[in-house]
Amino acid sequence: MKIQSTTQGDVNILELSGELDYHSSPELREKLGELTGKQASKILMNLSGVDYMDSSGIATFVEAFQKTKRYQGRLVLAELTGTVRGVFEIAKLDSIFEIAPTVAEAMTRLGTKA
Amino acid sequence: MEKRFELNASSEVLSPFRKELRQILVHEGWEKKTSDEILLAVDEALTNVIRHAYAGGSGKMTVLVRAAHDKIEIVIEDLGKKFDPTQVPPPELPRHKPGGLGVHFIRTIMDEMIYDPQCLEGNRLRLIKHKKKI
Repeated sequence: MKIQSTTQGDVNILELSGELDYHSSPELREKLGELTGKQASKILMNLSGVDYMDSSGIATFVEAFQKTKRYQGRLVLAELTGTVRGVFEIAKLDSIFEIAPTVAEAMTRLGTKA
Repeated sequence: MEKRFELNASSEVLSPFRKELRQILVHEGWEKKTSDEILLAVDEALTNVIRHAYAGGSGKMTVLVRAAHDKIEIVIEDLGKKFDPTQVPPPELPRHKPGGLGVHFIRTIMDEMIYDPQCLEGNRLRLIKHKKKI
């Protein structure tokens, strides 16, 4: 899995590509931990390149989501592939997370122009 | 068709194994969405072997894939400590804490999850998925 980290205005963007499983999720957990550790107020995860995700990936998102909530931050997931969306649906987490169809839409929701 | 995989109980093996299993599923005519789901269920079962049966230590796991025209059966064996996923209670959903979803995925996706309580050493888990009749 590859993780590309950028910022746009006050939004921290993580663009993921590849497979997010028990092997690769610790790397993402560390990246998200850095952001939540410094209480990043807006985190956008671009998941358009993620072609596989298991429960370890979901757990990583849930942990980051809970942390951002604690300091009133926001975590928005964007551009989920069909496979990844299916995993969120089985976990019934598609209604808990803030999910945007596109990165531009996610930026708008976060109050920043793409 | 029957194929046996001998794997080290290590997270690095998961991705290459999924590629092999996907090829079998494609060859056996499973549609993509169901293939994705079966891959997820088997991946979760193997992850449980690595995490719980071997608790991060080294060991072997064997995966036997039996494909018939109407179903696929995957038998996972290990020599680690006893872990019976059928005894894991269903989680409350949506889950607000990280973790605890792997067995839920297996139960939701597969038609049958059978743990062999008579396995003398380690664990034997059978996962079965039937093809939907069109």
